[in-house]
Amino acid sequence: MIRMRRVTKVYKGNVYALEDVTVDIERGEFAFLVGPSGSGKSTFIKLLIKEEEPTGGQIYIADTNINQLRKWKVPYLRRKIGCVFQDFKLLPHKTVYQNVAYAMEVTGKSHRIAEQQVPEVLKLVGLGHKLESFPDELSGGEQQRVAIARAFINRPPILLADEPTGNVDPSLADGVVRLLEKINDSGTTVIMATHDKQIVNTFRKRVIAMENGRIIRDQDRGVYGYE
Amino acid sequence: MNKITYFASETWASLRKNLILAVAAIAVVAVSLGILALVVMGWNMFSNMIKSAERKVGEIDVYLSDLTMEEERQAIEAYLVSIPEVDPLQVTYKDKETALQEFKERFKDQPELWEYLTENPLPNSYELSTKDPKDVGVVVGEISNNAPYRERIEDIKSASGAIEKLENIFDKFRQIGIIGVIALAIISILLVSVTIQVAIFARRREIGIMKLVGATNWFIRWPFLLEGVFEGLLGSIVAILVSWAVKVWILDKLIDNLQFLRLSLSSSLLWVLFPCMIVGGIIIGALGSAYALGRFLEV
Repeated sequence: MIRMRRVTKVYKGNVYALEDVTVDIERGEFAFLVGPSGSGKSTFIKLLIKEEEPTGGQIYIADTNINQLRKWKVPYLRRKIGCVFQDFKLLPHKTVYQNVAYAMEVTGKSHRIAEQQVPEVLKLVGLGHKLESFPDELSGGEQQRVAIARAFINRPPILLADEPTGNVDPSLADGVVRLLEKINDSGTTVIMATHDKQIVNTFRKRVIAMENGRIIRDQDRGVYGYE
Repeated sequence: MNKITYFASETWASLRKNLILAVAAIAVVAVSLGILALVVMGWNMFSNMIKSAERKVGEIDVYLSDLTMEEERQAIEAYLVSIPEVDPLQVTYKDKETALQEFKERFKDQPELWEYLTENPLPNSYELSTKDPKDVGVVVGEISNNAPYRERIEDIKSASGAIEKLENIFDKFRQIGIIGVIALAIISILLVSVTIQVAIFARRREIGIMKLVGATNWFIRWPFLLEGVFEGLLGSIVAILVSWAVKVWILDKLIDNLQFLRLSLSSSLLWVLFPCMIVGGIIIGALGSAYALGRFLEV
């Protein structure tokens, strides 16, 4: 599903964010991308949605080399990749329902389809009863569930989560990851960047560990560190 | 349909949010198009006045005596065509009957001037134009000194210098007007673009999310483009209303009260001018938002 070949990303000022990263992530996999801040996890994710361009190397998504993707095709790439961020990125003046429906509207789907599917997906994330709430009336965990619902509403084959539990109460963080697991069970490839040791150790998924822009360990059913 | 209502509501919401800027942009668009309208209407009135004048700049009428014989007339014609400063294609013979017809046509509102004529008092004549209006004096001198059968030429008339001067003044007026309109159009494009920049800035978070969930670039751009176009359109409508008022309350009164100047405004002009103003407003709005989108919306 995702193939990176010798990918390097250098930011201005000769800052190496990624260095010679080669990795394969198969369809339907669930992978944790772990490492301290500044290890290159966020750059990894930004490269996949073409928010940044690699300095060197090739990136393939579903056998398409996205380096060569025309600019106007980028939105269509992003429709295949759901994204969840630490800061939720919800629109404060829209309700839970509207926030999720928005992702369908901007891709040109009709209100009728949104009316059918949005409540369904919100029920899936456990917020079926809060359609009309506004984001600031929800807890961090609930807001992140809305964001996950929005990322999943168009049924993307890939879901990327960058520190999704970072702003969520630790007691609710497990629930967020279980939700990602549920989405993974439906066939979606999930990559979750995190430095939450406890979560990584609890869920025992594939662990891709990064440090200083390099992959230092790639392990199935792994844990956060060796200690 | 779904998309159209979406774009329309986004545009409207954004316009309301920065109302003061939008009003300023609309006002400047209106002023620039209004000045354009004034220049065009003024120019039209002036050129109608010039047209109604007996002779245009560079034109000379040569009147022949009724005693002129056909060979004499031909000799005079050959001579007129041969003058180097005269445009040989612009030498036309006008006989008495045609001259009378034209006279009746021109004064059809004052039939008392010609109703009681028993014979045609108007002479046969030649109308000629110089290649360069400046040479009128030279040509008039040449004809009065060297024409064959000089005694058959009763009179030589050329346009008065006053009209020439007026034309120069109006040319200046038109040039200044056009430069002013262009300058104002650029200012309006920039002002529209500022309102769009503000709108983009106010919605940057939303734009980021739209990109994230895969909205196409044009889907993001449309509401902003429409906002600029709407401002331009509104500005042009205001300008049309104002210039209509100026026409009805000022120009028409001027035309009525200064009849001796034979001012007039072609009625078909406004049917061309007003649609052009609407198109101009839309273009100004579209250019303004395109400029803002190009510079401040990386999609």
